[in-house]
Amino acid sequence: MNTLKRYWWLILLAAIAVYPVIGKPSPYRSGLLIFAGIYIILAVGLDLLMGYTGQISVGHAAFFAVGAYTSGILTAKYGFSPSAAMGVGVVFSATLAFLTGRPVLALKEYYLAMATLAFNEIVVTLIIGFEGLTGGASGLRDIPPFTIFGFSLLNHLHYYYFVWTVVVLVIASALAVVRSPFGRALIAIHSDEQAARSFGVNCAKYKTRAYMLAAVYASIAGSLFAHYMGFIAPDDFGILTSINLLVMLFLGGIGTIFGPALGALFLKLLPEITYQFQDYELLINGIILIVVLVFFPRGLFGIFTALRNKIVPRMGK
Amino acid sequence: MSDISHLVQFLFSGITVGSVYALIAVSLVIVYKVSQLICFAQGEFFVFGALTMTTLVSKGVPVPLAFFLSIIIAMVLGALIQQVLIRPMKNTSVGALIVMTIAISLALRGLALLIWGRESHVLPPFSRGEPIQILGAALQLQILWIVGITAVVLLLIWFFFEKTPAGIAMRACAENPYGASLMGINTQRTTLFAWAWGSGIGALAGMAVAPMLFTQYTSGIMPMVKGFIAMSIGGLGSIVGSVIAGLLLGLVESYTIGLISSKFSDTIVFALLMAVLVFRPNGLFSRS
Repeated sequence: MNTLKRYWWLILLAAIAVYPVIGKPSPYRSGLLIFAGIYIILAVGLDLLMGYTGQISVGHAAFFAVGAYTSGILTAKYGFSPSAAMGVGVVFSATLAFLTGRPVLALKEYYLAMATLAFNEIVVTLIIGFEGLTGGASGLRDIPPFTIFGFSLLNHLHYYYFVWTVVVLVIASALAVVRSPFGRALIAIHSDEQAARSFGVNCAKYKTRAYMLAAVYASIAGSLFAHYMGFIAPDDFGILTSINLLVMLFLGGIGTIFGPALGALFLKLLPEITYQFQDYELLINGIILIVVLVFFPRGLFGIFTALRNKIVPRMGK
Repeated sequence: MSDISHLVQFLFSGITVGSVYALIAVSLVIVYKVSQLICFAQGEFFVFGALTMTTLVSKGVPVPLAFFLSIIIAMVLGALIQQVLIRPMKNTSVGALIVMTIAISLALRGLALLIWGRESHVLPPFSRGEPIQILGAALQLQILWIVGITAVVLLLIWFFFEKTPAGIAMRACAENPYGASLMGINTQRTTLFAWAWGSGIGALAGMAVAPMLFTQYTSGIMPMVKGFIAMSIGGLGSIVGSVIAGLLLGLVESYTIGLISSKFSDTIVFALLMAVLVFRPNGLFSRS
């Protein structure tokens, strides 16, 4: 039984792998799952920054935008291969995070929230402003499909497997990060920055690195998004997207990696249930979120672990 | 139009927009002072104020009555939210509180969608009459209302916080809640009052510009963000600072749109905010 408790994620992995074969999802439904996967990548990255390092960001969609637009522009206008463009996006995002990280992350709580929000808006208004390059408010068209080793991703199924492979890699790497000495330093900064500093942790450096890591994940998510959609517009990357990410983190259970992933999955699949209520959709989403925050402060993942511990009782302890 | 008249016209629009930003910033500051919380649902009170008044006026309710009814409805709503949803969250992190107010704003926006639909609504001006011509620029009468309402509200707030026992109690709660409660101040009731006032002023901002704006259920987002900016530039907890910052923000926006570039005016405004946060984290007007 303990093995089940330990390796529950293998069941999850198998479920993800066989779902398209058994479930035979419609293009619409696999589209939802692909979006969910992309948002999981974003949310997991943000969790490293917020959940583990304790640094609020209301502007994470900025790096999502940088990834998406770097990929979009370089492949649609300059003939780059998608994977090369994705690499350029990652380097660009990491550099941007490195340059802005130190001054911005020196701020705390609300000031940090405001600065990241401003950063997000600056990126979006620049995208809208430089129309010639980015297509402006009406968006960037004709982004080619993604190719790996000369193989083009042509349909939903291809993208489903590709995106979810990236999701698994991202979650695995995030778990590796939080269990490493680097991750423990981040957690130390979260619980008490001054104490961490007195133990020799270079807080500014570590915070900036966590920020860069989150930016890299977001940039990858952006590239995937651009190629899957074939069309991107500034609206996809505004403050509302950043706010949605915050919601995913707290809904799923912040600081657990799996929680934000669960939150992203839930929030992206929720329209599937609530769309039939039409105009009530927004209100219902709000109420669900309020209920989770008030009654389940540890989020959906908290509920999940509680249930798991009930079903699989501790044995031989 | 001559150059001068252009400059004057930009001044008018800057002051108009600036007054609205100042009001929203003040409503945020009042809540922040007693709750140490920035409420992301404040934009929704802006919308509720504007749309409630529009509906009441269109149903034939006299303008002054509609005006006060809309404010009172917003105040009750704000107090209810504080009592039912914010109060139980006392011991949670800043992040969780922010997300709670985001959740509240989603629910309120959903409610506004149900009540008023997706279409935009516009309120008739408070008083009829031709715009006044000054140096070749047109000054709409509603602008006088907006500026007048802002001035009256700010005076009342000043009077309230400086001269009345309830206002002084509220300041004490902001300063030191534990000490205030030891002095026999009912901190819970004071917090409730602050939320009611904050919501009322937010609604007032929406009502004042409703005749110049097409308001719909999503209209609250941008004014709220601009209110945040004014509040942060003014130094989170300062009413005077946020009023000056709000007006300044409106003017900067109006002149950059008019003289430099409408495309990049928001880029400039947000870059300004980042610069203030990084170089003067206690606000532009702090002494330290």
